[in-house]
Amino acid sequence: MPHIRKLALALALSTVALPAAAQEGSALSPRVVNEAAVPAVMAKAVDAFIIPGYRNLTEKAAAASAATAKLCAAPSQPALETAQGAFSDLVGAWSTIEIVRLGPALEQNRFERFLFYPDRKSTGLKQVQAIISKKDESATDEARLKGKSVAAQGLGALEYVLYGTGSDTLLSKEGDFRCRYGLAITRNLDTIANEFLAAWQKPDGVQAAWKHPGPDNPEFRDSREAATELLGILVHGVETVKDQRLKPFYEGKDDKGRPKLAIYWRSGNTMASIAGNVRGLKALFDVADMQSLLPEDSRSVAGSADFVFKSVIGMAGNIDGPIDAALADEDKRAKLAFLSLNTNDLLDRLNKDFGGAIGLGAGFSFADGD
Amino acid sequence: MRAATDLIDRRSFLKMAGVAWVASLAPDRAFALTRADAVFASAFMAPDGSYGVATLTEAGEIIDRAALPARAHGMAYSPVTRRAVAFARRPGTYAMILATDGTAEPIVIAAVEGRHFYGHGCFSADGRLLYATENDFASNRGMVGVYDGSDRFTRIGEFPTYGIGPHDMTLAADGRLLAIANGGIETHPDFGRTKLNLDHMEPSLTLVDTATGALVQKHGLPDDLSRLSTRHVDIGPKGEIWFACQYEGARNDLPPLVGSFSRGEDLKFLSLPERTTEALANYVGAIAINRHEGLVGLTSPKGNVAVTIDARTGAVLRQERVADAAGVAAAGHGFAVSSYDGHFQDYQSRVAWDQHIVRLA
Repeated sequence: MPHIRKLALALALSTVALPAAAQEGSALSPRVVNEAAVPAVMAKAVDAFIIPGYRNLTEKAAAASAATAKLCAAPSQPALETAQGAFSDLVGAWSTIEIVRLGPALEQNRFERFLFYPDRKSTGLKQVQAIISKKDESATDEARLKGKSVAAQGLGALEYVLYGTGSDTLLSKEGDFRCRYGLAITRNLDTIANEFLAAWQKPDGVQAAWKHPGPDNPEFRDSREAATELLGILVHGVETVKDQRLKPFYEGKDDKGRPKLAIYWRSGNTMASIAGNVRGLKALFDVADMQSLLPEDSRSVAGSADFVFKSVIGMAGNIDGPIDAALADEDKRAKLAFLSLNTNDLLDRLNKDFGGAIGLGAGFSFADGD
Repeated sequence: MRAATDLIDRRSFLKMAGVAWVASLAPDRAFALTRADAVFASAFMAPDGSYGVATLTEAGEIIDRAALPARAHGMAYSPVTRRAVAFARRPGTYAMILATDGTAEPIVIAAVEGRHFYGHGCFSADGRLLYATENDFASNRGMVGVYDGSDRFTRIGEFPTYGIGPHDMTLAADGRLLAIANGGIETHPDFGRTKLNLDHMEPSLTLVDTATGALVQKHGLPDDLSRLSTRHVDIGPKGEIWFACQYEGARNDLPPLVGSFSRGEDLKFLSLPERTTEALANYVGAIAINRHEGLVGLTSPKGNVAVTIDARTGAVLRQERVADAAGVAAAGHGFAVSSYDGHFQDYQSRVAWDQHIVRLA
């Protein structure tokens, strides 16, 4: 038998081809989407997660703008701390809702204008530094700031203004220009946040498309497409945390880390933001009642996803303080290693277990645009 | 300081690929296609989530398989050298070249710094060179990487695709030209697979001289079709270039999804019946031409459909529901079609077939 070795290899890989007639119960895609349950889930996702999330963003952006305006009018240590606190609150609100990277977030570069990250070659940093050193007055005007590079008008730029080199000038009138630039950024963020909210609140806009999948719908022709989009938020959200937020500064066991590549490292919001991302994903999963898409005999899949969600959020929240200090601390590095393993697990629970159980199976991630 | 998302070098590639995978490259397990009945190859995902590439019979039965370190996408084959290549799915950084006659071990190439693969490419007419679509992501421009098969596929040069977000590419005009589908979508490995410019896409189809790397012809799309991403290409019975698209605009639009052009001519879109356009769900995942029979084959995983079209008249000859339709390739008669749920012609295997099939014989 010339093919014995090959057969042994095939068996070792436990994937033997069988004629269709001889095979029952393929492990891949045995389920179908519970189409009847989808519209209610989509409606809850919009009404109980997306719209409240953007409303919260507008509130925190307005608060950041007010606090920065006060700082500019009367610079002081308490005023700076209030403005910094408002910045962190705004980061928290954004971290929850930024997981919705679709629809209005993809239009007019809104996402990148709100948050430009990673700043791979410090392009954004250099632009912000140039604006401050040259006292470029056009950057203090919200309308003209909007036309500048996306890297000079969002959260990263605001963080540098409030925490970067020279931010101590904000304690006096010496920092007047810097403060007015920061104020223009907060106003710009407030405007973008309100654009998000308005787009989602418009009754015949994107929310109608989300709530009523059908042949004339500009987003989803049927409930299956809608469910795919919603699951996509969860799966891509975890992938983003894993690959774009954790990995840049910490790649797992034995990695000493690169703190200055971490998001929000200047303000110490790195882990709070990562925890906020996952909290947002869990909130969406919960308030949209995504487990109602599961067949009765698979409800335990939601329970195990919930367990890992909580574990990731708990662990991320546990790693407090500036990220450079955390990376220098063996105990916290071990927590980061655990966190990165757990995000892999969470990805599998959502992509394979949950996706498979609700009938999206391999097709979900495979059909993703190529 | 090292950027965290630096593209991997060969050593770290092997580290990432893992011991089990490297062991699978040992000579006694080298991917050896010695059976004459192997007709197709396709990448797949196994039930345990691992990835590989398999050869299949005309009927769709798996003959042999080799493990891959990460998900692959498109494949290409040279009948001259009998080598096949599987490209990592974008933004992947490896490609594996296999000697389908079992005369050599697989060769793995890694993308160079500042580039990643898009998942497609082709061999030169004499089989010596391998061309790969690549992303020069710092400059957001498509590139063709050129690799020398006579020297273990060392990268010997590159030239532009004259567009952004190139995807599929095939040899045209007896090997003198490359026909390239520039999907027009900007991506950057820092942002994974996120599409960064959906409101200002620049899809185009280009013909590039293989000898000089010079642009021979470029077709942009009209403004009202700026969201029509031109993604896959194949060569028709008369040497014309067929292309298939994926639409990023409103789901209830009915854009043209398939067309063809020849050198020196404008693009000609096929006017498909509404029911076919709707069935394709604005998304053609793969296209193949059966040149002997003058047929165009299309699959749509979003629409769960396989469609056969008369290349001469444009008439739809067949429209068949295929759940999770994946790849399509010319068969003896008509087309071989695969699916994410393991179907491939007459067989269902416990794998998820990836989006493309290459014909080997």
